[in-house]
Amino acid sequence: MAKINLTVNGEKRSADVEDRTLLANFLRDELNLTGTHVGCDTSQCGACTVHVDGRAVKSCTMLVAQAEGCEVVTIEGLAKNGKLHPAQAAFTECHALQCGFCTPGMIMTTAALIKNHPAPTDEQIVHGLEGNLCRCTGYLNIVKAVKRAAELQGK
Amino acid sequence: MPAQLRTGAAANCVMLIAIQTEEKACRSPGRLAVRVNIMDQHHHHFEVGGAHLSRLEDLRLIKGEGCYAADWTLPNQAHAAFLRADRAHARIVSINTDAARKAKGVLGVFTGADAVKAGYVKPLSFLTFAGKDGKKANIPERPVLTGDRVRFVGDLVALVVAESALQAQDALELIEIEYEDLPAVVSPRATLKAGAPQLHDNVPGNLAFEQEAGDAAAVEAAFAKAAHVTKLRLDVTRVAPNPMEPRACAVTFDAGSGKFTIHSPVQGINMMRMQLAAYTGVADDKIEVVSRDVGGGFGQRSIAYPEYVALMLAAKSLGRPVKWVSSRSEGFMSDSHGRANYIDGELALDKDGTFLGMRIDWIADLGAYLHPAGPVSPMRNPVTCLNGVYKTQALFGRWRVVLTNTAPVSAYRGAARPEIAFAIERLVDEAAAQMKIDPAEIRRRNFIPTDAFPYKTPTGSVYDIADFHGVLDKAMKLADVAGFAKRRSESEKRGMLRGIGFSTVIENSGAGMFPKDEVRLEVHADGTLTAYSVSHSQGQGHETTFAQIIGDGLGIPAERVKLRQGIGEQGLIGNHTGGSRTIVGAGTVCHIAAKKLVEVATPIAAEQLGVEPSQVTYDKGEFKSAAANKKISLGELAAKKPLTVTGEGKFGSTFPNGCHVAELEIDPQTGVTEVVSYVTVDDCGTVINHTIVEGQMHGAVAQGWGQIFGENVVYDSDTGQLLSGSFMDYTMPKAGWIKDIQIAEHTTFGTISPLGVKGMGESGCTASLAALTNAVMNALRPLGVPPLDMPLTAHKLWQAISAAKKGK
Repeated sequence: MAKINLTVNGEKRSADVEDRTLLANFLRDELNLTGTHVGCDTSQCGACTVHVDGRAVKSCTMLVAQAEGCEVVTIEGLAKNGKLHPAQAAFTECHALQCGFCTPGMIMTTAALIKNHPAPTDEQIVHGLEGNLCRCTGYLNIVKAVKRAAELQGK
Repeated sequence: MPAQLRTGAAANCVMLIAIQTEEKACRSPGRLAVRVNIMDQHHHHFEVGGAHLSRLEDLRLIKGEGCYAADWTLPNQAHAAFLRADRAHARIVSINTDAARKAKGVLGVFTGADAVKAGYVKPLSFLTFAGKDGKKANIPERPVLTGDRVRFVGDLVALVVAESALQAQDALELIEIEYEDLPAVVSPRATLKAGAPQLHDNVPGNLAFEQEAGDAAAVEAAFAKAAHVTKLRLDVTRVAPNPMEPRACAVTFDAGSGKFTIHSPVQGINMMRMQLAAYTGVADDKIEVVSRDVGGGFGQRSIAYPEYVALMLAAKSLGRPVKWVSSRSEGFMSDSHGRANYIDGELALDKDGTFLGMRIDWIADLGAYLHPAGPVSPMRNPVTCLNGVYKTQALFGRWRVVLTNTAPVSAYRGAARPEIAFAIERLVDEAAAQMKIDPAEIRRRNFIPTDAFPYKTPTGSVYDIADFHGVLDKAMKLADVAGFAKRRSESEKRGMLRGIGFSTVIENSGAGMFPKDEVRLEVHADGTLTAYSVSHSQGQGHETTFAQIIGDGLGIPAERVKLRQGIGEQGLIGNHTGGSRTIVGAGTVCHIAAKKLVEVATPIAAEQLGVEPSQVTYDKGEFKSAAANKKISLGELAAKKPLTVTGEGKFGSTFPNGCHVAELEIDPQTGVTEVVSYVTVDDCGTVINHTIVEGQMHGAVAQGWGQIFGENVVYDSDTGQLLSGSFMDYTMPKAGWIKDIQIAEHTTFGTISPLGVKGMGESGCTASLAALTNAVMNALRPLGVPPLDMPLTAHKLWQAISAAKKGK
């Protein structure tokens, strides 16, 4: 067992966990933050993407022990003071989600992408989304939503 | 209900249609659009609200507040893990679970013996009709945990239940199994050969079912007099549906009432309950299925999988809720696969390119067992639309359902509609090329004329209304087919191979297997409504579309209508969401229910207003009496007494259709294909929400795209091992693959639903397989490249181009 301390969505959390506990499972099972989804077991789909110290990370590919002392933000913590994050607003505005299962990961990836590239090119968007799979949308509206999110962020 | 809309469209009315006032340019998504007036073929004004309404379900999903199956946490729940066969075909000599039972946290271990003892051995099959020579299907048993033999990699051997999911997984590794390997067969053609390994004693020759349709003699005669015959092998590969949410299921059993509650992602609770009841022998009313947000379906969610039934066994035995969440690796092995239809086709033409007859020989690979509806789709849907959009009179086909040592196959977005469309449209295109007739022209010569509807096809379907010429003309214009020759020569100058491909397709939707579709409306005192439906959304946006239809019917904003799905206790009858039918079924019934609500509420309102019902008028959520100068709203009425109605309807087949045009460039140095333009023109009848319809088209075309350019489930031909068992080995479409899709509508209003809707969730798959393949072959044919099988990977194209250049 490992004792871990970290900050999740601005709140300090500590817990005793099995050494092998993945960050994704910790968030879902221990903290009941079920917005972080697990869509594969080979780190391809990106549905579990969260921010760890500001970087987009696949939480299924990281032990929670590795997040010791880190600031973790999940989809539940992205909206601030009741106001949607530009990435969230853009996804609904552009109809960039259908079933919604990949959406939290897509939005977390987008939020990091537009922070790093405030005016992303098509190439940067496609590269940035490479680690996130969607089966419903064909990605056309997701690419649009990333552009729109960047616009909204600049406003 | 406006009865006049139900009458069949007279031929001379066909073109008085589709006054779609909005242009694509103003269709930026994400705003509340103005209401659009649509005029139907009888000049009846039909109001459809909020053509671009933002989805009402989005807010919770973008905030991470959705509730998918893995998100259910039941009090005192235990966790399950399944031991699966690691080989394709073997006899189980012995199985030792002693160590697993003693492992930390383990509550129970279940094997085939438990499944047999419970009698959970025979899944429901919808393949009940007679085939060739009146012979019925040979349907193998499938104990929910296999007893003495495994038949595919991923077959269920044992179930471990423990206090935690990790403990259950750890204990799996302690189960000892001694196998005696048997030879495996994974090829659908090899499995029919004499001497092939046999899967089930009651399925001799691995042939579960055989049927014929059409007129063999007429086809013989047509081919005898043909000036030209085109023959093609048209294999439509096995793919993995891969909705992004892995399967999951949590089961509770209440010993007091004897009732099971199954929490699982489904396409419709009734379809799931019916199958679970049949598998277990538990009465319908002792099974409740609960479903909330469903992370994609595509046909894969329609099935009562043996895992779910095994969990029922465990929950009952242990007296604890038991939850299982599939990993993606398990999913690749054991979720239903799709397509896997292997077709030989022949088209006979006269010297002018008129189609005289078509013959097909179709092998449907269903895997190691028959999923309930799995074999029905390839037996039914291709027959329904065997002539495609053409007036071909002589048609004949033979269909065989075969078993192989692979994962069971079931419906996948389109469910054999894409396969028959692919077969027809590839034959047509190759024939045109061989006879040096323009591919659009050969289609025009053979289209069912626009004034011929309703049109009875040689296999007995009635296409109610369509305008194939109009659809093709619009698509050609949008795709600027006239400018293609110039673009091709420009590509040539850059050393690139350019191709253009068409498909003009039709598919059957609408009709469902349940006796009717019901939707219940409940009015609340605050003026909002709850609508209940059993046709479950898996991402199609029912919460929005249904609310729009109901809102439109009542003249109130869609936002005042909240849809609840997957609520078993409402006891509604209705189809699951599949076959693109929900807009025709439950969608239309939303409209009917709204009208019924006004009808039912009018006398109640009259009583409240103290006037005769004839003196009451309804408008925009209010009942008014001009005489008494009084009014009462729906909400006020509901505050006085409960106001609930159930609308119902039953609908026959609808026939959405369309034309897709793909244009692409292939780099002969690398074999890499870039699709430079993709145009869709579809006739899905009335469009309730353009944004959602376009989104459906994007997704379906992407799935067709994936299948043509990469997706492929591959089993090792000797061992039967699954070689494409993860997203590392399986080609899932990614962002950037598709750069743009130009979407347009060419609407004829369907006559089956008073809304004029036809369905459209699958049409993108149905049309894209052939359009993309035809475009690739159009690019490569000048080099002498022969017809190629999907997937058309860069490697395959490069090899074909290289071989052609060497004159091989």
